[in-house]
Amino acid sequence: MEIERGITKAMWGYDGNLEPLYDVEDKGSEILVTFDLPRVKKEDVKINTTEDTIEVIAKMSNTICWERWGGIQKRITFQAFKKQIRFPVHIDPEKATASFKNGILRINLPKMRRAVLIGID
Amino acid sequence: MNMGELVRIVEEGDVVYNNPIVLEGLPDVGLVGTIAASYAVEKMGYKEIGYIESDLFPPVMVIHKGKLKSPFRIYGDENVVVVLSEVAIPPNAIYPLTEALADWFKSINAKLVISITGLPAKDRMDIEKPEVFAVGNNEDAMKTLKAKQVDLLEEGFIAGTYAIMQRECSKKDLSAIALLAQCYPVYPDPGAAASAIESLEKFLELGIDVAELNERAEEIKLKARDLMRQTVLSAPEMQKEVEQDIPFMYQ
Repeated sequence: MEIERGITKAMWGYDGNLEPLYDVEDKGSEILVTFDLPRVKKEDVKINTTEDTIEVIAKMSNTICWERWGGIQKRITFQAFKKQIRFPVHIDPEKATASFKNGILRINLPKMRRAVLIGID
Repeated sequence: MNMGELVRIVEEGDVVYNNPIVLEGLPDVGLVGTIAASYAVEKMGYKEIGYIESDLFPPVMVIHKGKLKSPFRIYGDENVVVVLSEVAIPPNAIYPLTEALADWFKSINAKLVISITGLPAKDRMDIEKPEVFAVGNNEDAMKTLKAKQVDLLEEGFIAGTYAIMQRECSKKDLSAIALLAQCYPVYPDPGAAASAIESLEKFLELGIDVAELNERAEEIKLKARDLMRQTVLSAPEMQKEVEQDIPFMYQ
C-alpha cells in the first residue's frame, strides 16, 4: 500500500475534484489555514468544521479540462477543489472566522482551551 | 574535484552570443522566476537552445507535444538567455548547478545575470501590487541597480539557488543581480511575476506587456500547482526559513 501511495499520489482524483494547495500555521492560540483557490468565487466556497477537522469544498466558476496528459492519456475534467484537514488539537468551530480575497481563502480557527491558572507556592 | 563537472550544460543549435543578458528563473518561493521567465520565453518566442543534465537531478524527463525533453532547459537568442526548470531543483544540486551555469555564462560572455525570484510576504493577501527589491553581487551590479532606481535589500539573509548564483557569478567576475518580488511563499504568484517582469523591463527593454499574464493568472496558478508543491517540499533543506531571520551582525 505504501509503495502504491508513493507512485500514484496526486493532487487530483477521478471524482472531478482537485486538491488545493494549502498551508497550516499554528499561531499559538489559533490555527491559521489558507487555501489557494483559483477560478473560485466567494459564494461557491463551503467550509465545514468539527472539533478537529476542517473540510473545504470550492466549486470552480468553469470546469478545467486537461487532455493528452500524464498516465491517463484521455480527457479529464475537474469542477471543484476539495480538501479535508485533521488537526492534532481541538478547535472551537463556533469561533472560526474566514475571509476570501484574490483567490485565497483564509480561515482562523481558535483552539479550544480551558484556561487554568497556576498558583505559585 | 571540479564540482561543475557534475552538471553539464548541453548546447543545441549554433547561437552566436552577443554579450547576452541571462535570466535565471529556477523554481523558488511563489514560482515567481519560473512564471516570469516562461512568460518572457512565450512572449518573445525564444527557441530552445540547450538543456542541463546531471546525475544529481531526479530521473525525470518531460514530454511536450509528443517530444521528449529535459525538464531543465535553456531558451534564448543571441542577446537574451533564459534558464528554466519544470521540476524542483534538488538541494544537493545547487552548488554544482550554479557553478556550471556561471562557468557557461562566462564562456558566452554574458554581460549581466539576472535571477528572478520571490520575497515571501506574510501579508501578501493584502498587497495589491507587489514591490520588487534587488540584490547585486558587485560594484557594477550595484551601480546598475541604482541607475535603474530599483530598491535594494539592505540587510538580511538570502537562500536558495539565486543566492548561490550571486556568489558563483562573483567568483567568475560576472555581474549578477537578483530581483525579488513580494509573493505568497507557498502559492504560485503570477501577480508577483508581473511585478518582476515590469522591473526586469528596466534592464531588458523588450516591451513585454504583462496584461496577458494578469489575465491568465488563474490558469497559470492551476498549471503550476504540482511544481509549487515540489518546490515547497524542498524549501526546508534550502534553508529558506533563514530569509525571515535577522542577521547577527545587523547594522
